[in-house]
Amino acid sequence: MLKVENLEKNFGTIKAVDGISFEVRKGEVFGLLGPNGAGKSTTISVISTLLPPSGGVILFEGKDIFADPKAIQRKLGVVPQDIALYPTLSGYENLSFWGNLYGLSGGELKKRIDEVCEIIGLNGRIKDRVDKYSGGMKRRLNIGAALLHMPELLIMDEPTVGIDPQSRNHILDTVLALSRQGMTIIYTSHYMEEVEYLCSRICIMDQGRIIASGSKDELVEMISGKTMIGLQMESIDQELLNSLGSMEGIDRIEQQENQIQIRCENADLILADIIARVTASGNHLRSVAVKKPNLEAVFLHLTGKALRD
Amino acid sequence: MKIVSMIKKDLLALLSDKKALIIILLMPIVLMVILGFALKGIFADSWEFGKVNIAIVKQYDAASDLKRFEELSDAGDEVDPENIFFHEFLESKEVSDLISYRIETEERARELLNSREISAIVVLPEKYLYNMKVNLLTPFRNEININIQINPDATMNGEIVKAVMQAYSDSMSSVIIGKNVLIEAAMANSPGNGGLKGMEAVMTGIMDALKAVRVEIDDVTLEGRKPISSSDYYAAAMLTMFILFAAGHGGRMLLEEKENFTWQRMTVAGTSRFGILAGKFFVIFLIACIQIAIMTVFSSFVLKVEWGDFLSVAGIGIAAAFAAAGVGVIIAVTAFRAGNYKLANVFESGIIQIMALLGGSFVPIDILPDVFQRLSILSLNGIALKAYQKTMMGYGMEDVWGYILALAGIGAVFSVLSVVILMRREGTGHGKHYQVKAVKA
Repeated sequence: MLKVENLEKNFGTIKAVDGISFEVRKGEVFGLLGPNGAGKSTTISVISTLLPPSGGVILFEGKDIFADPKAIQRKLGVVPQDIALYPTLSGYENLSFWGNLYGLSGGELKKRIDEVCEIIGLNGRIKDRVDKYSGGMKRRLNIGAALLHMPELLIMDEPTVGIDPQSRNHILDTVLALSRQGMTIIYTSHYMEEVEYLCSRICIMDQGRIIASGSKDELVEMISGKTMIGLQMESIDQELLNSLGSMEGIDRIEQQENQIQIRCENADLILADIIARVTASGNHLRSVAVKKPNLEAVFLHLTGKALRD
Repeated sequence: MKIVSMIKKDLLALLSDKKALIIILLMPIVLMVILGFALKGIFADSWEFGKVNIAIVKQYDAASDLKRFEELSDAGDEVDPENIFFHEFLESKEVSDLISYRIETEERARELLNSREISAIVVLPEKYLYNMKVNLLTPFRNEININIQINPDATMNGEIVKAVMQAYSDSMSSVIIGKNVLIEAAMANSPGNGGLKGMEAVMTGIMDALKAVRVEIDDVTLEGRKPISSSDYYAAAMLTMFILFAAGHGGRMLLEEKENFTWQRMTVAGTSRFGILAGKFFVIFLIACIQIAIMTVFSSFVLKVEWGDFLSVAGIGIAAAFAAAGVGVIIAVTAFRAGNYKLANVFESGIIQIMALLGGSFVPIDILPDVFQRLSILSLNGIALKAYQKTMMGYGMEDVWGYILALAGIGAVFSVLSVVILMRREGTGHGKHYQVKAVKA
C-alpha cells in the first residue's frame, strides 16, 4: 500500500531521516519504534505531505505522493503527536470542523461524528469544551478527528504520550478495533510494549536510520537464546567492570550511569558468580533484574543503549 | 466550502472568548455612550444651524458716558460706538450668521450660561461708551477690556465667540491707530486750533472707512448642513477605532493555528496556505462588519445618531471592514513568520492608540493643529471617520467615494502584501519545529 524508498530529510546540516526504506502492507498495523529524536515524527510528517523530502520516493498505491498530494491527503488520516484541536470549541464543534474540511456535511457528517464518538468513547462529553477535557480525552478526540473521513491509511504519531494508563489502554484497544475493521495503520512510539502489543511488523529507528525491521518474532530472533541481566548499583568502578568482563558466558557488558546491562547465554549459571563479584568489589548493589529477550533487548543489542530516555 | 467552515469555526471561537467579545463589541458601545454624553458640550447640540447664542451685558451707563464726553469735547455726535458694535458689527451679515445675541443683566446672563441656553457672555465694561468716544474722537487712548465668559462645556462655541470678538477688537484698533496717525499729521501741518477744527471732517471720513471694515472669519463650513453632535461624532469615532481591534484580534489567528498544531492538521487535510489566509481575511472582515452593523444600529436607535445616506454609510462600512481585514492579515502573516506575537501586541497596545489619536477617535482633529489634521489621512480610522462625518452632515455618495476608494486601496495593498509574505518560501515553520526535535536527539 505504501512504499518508502531511500527517504531523506535534512534540516540544514542535520540529517533527521537518513535514507530509510520500508513497506506498509494493506490491513496491517506497522510500527515505527525508536527513542525520542530517532526521526519517527519527521518520517511521518513527510509521509503526511506536511514536509517535502530532501531525497527518496514515497509511493502510495504505486503513485508518488508528491506528484498529487491532494489525492493521498483524502485517503490519509493523521493523528499528530501534539493535540491539534481548538480548545475553546466543544468536542462536537471540533469534529464538525474537521469533518467539513474533509468534505463531509449534513446528515453524513452527523452520522460519522456519532460513529466516531462511539469508537473513541466520548459520547457523554462530546458537547463539552475541549479545554475542560482530561489529557486522555483530548488524545481520544485527537484520534477521532482523523477518523471522520474513514481514511484508508491511519498514521498515529505517539498517540499515548503523557496520558494515564486507563486512557492509554482505551487508545490501544481502539487501534486494535480499527485494525480488525481492515484499516491500515502506521503506529509510532517509543513505548516498546505498545508496539509489541499492536504491530504485526516493526521498524526500529535510531538517529534517522532503520537499524532493524521485521515481525516481533523475527526481531527477537536476532538475540535468541540470550538473556539480559540488569544491575542497579549505588556506584560503579572500573575494577568491577573489568572483573565482570573477564567472566565466561558473558557476551556483552554496557554501563549507563549506575546501571550495568549484561547479555549472557544462561543467567542461571552465572548470576550467583556475578553477585559475588559485585559484593566483593565493595560496590553496593540495589537491585537485580533478569529479562527475557524483547524489543528493548533488541534495541539495546543493536545500539548499546536503552530505548527510553 | 472550506473557507465557510473556517469562518464558522473562527466565529464560534470568538463567541466563546469573553475577553475578545468585550473588547470588540461591548467596549465601543460603552465608550460611544460615555463619550457622547460626557463631551456633549464641545459639540453643536446647543446651536441651531451653527449659531452661537450669547448675551451682552452693559456695565456702562450710556447717558452718563455721553454727558461726560460732551464735557470733554463737542466733537463727533455722529460717532456712536453702540451703533458700531451692535448694528455695524454684531448685526452684520457675516457675524449674525454665526452669532445670535441678546442684551441681558449680568445676573440673568449668568443664569442663561449655567443652563446652557447661551454659550458665552460678552461684558462691555463701565465707561465703555465714554472710552470708545475718547479713543475714536480725541488724541487720547483709554484702555477698554471687554470680558468674555464661556461655558466650560461649550468650549468650541466659546472659541468662536472669542475669535469673533478678537476680530472686532483688531478692527477697532486699526481704526484708532489710523485716527491717531491722522491727528499727528494734522497737528504737524497746522498746529493749534486750526488743526483740531478739521477733525470733524476727518472723523466723518474714518466712519466711512469703518463701515468698510469687515470681520473676516475663516472655516465657516456648515452652510445649511446638519451639525454633528457629540453622540454622532463619538459613535463614528468609536466604530472606526474599534474595528482596528478586530484587525488586532485577527492578527493573532494564524500563529494561534500554528501553536495549536491545527495549521499542520489543516494542511494535511488538503487546505492550501492561501485558503487558510483567505479564511482569516474573511473572518476579520466579517467581525468588522458585525461590529459596524451592531454599533450603527445601536447608536441609531439608542443614541438617535443620524448616520445619513444608507448606501454611502454601507459603502464606507464595507470599505472600512475591508481595510481592517487587510491590516489584520498583514499582522497575522508577520506574526506567523516571526513566530511570536510581538507585532500583534505592539499593534494593539501602541499603534491602535496612535491611529486613534491621529484619526480623531479621542478628540476631534478639527481643533488640533494643522499638522495633526494632515496626519489623519495616514490612519484607516481617520479616513473612515471623515467619511462618516460627511454622511452625517448630509453629503452623499459623490462626496465620499474618494474615502471609500482609499479604504479599499488600503485593504487591497495589505492583502496582496500578506499573500506575498506568506507564499515567499516553503516550510512555514514546520521545519523549525522538527529541527528542534532533531537537535534534541
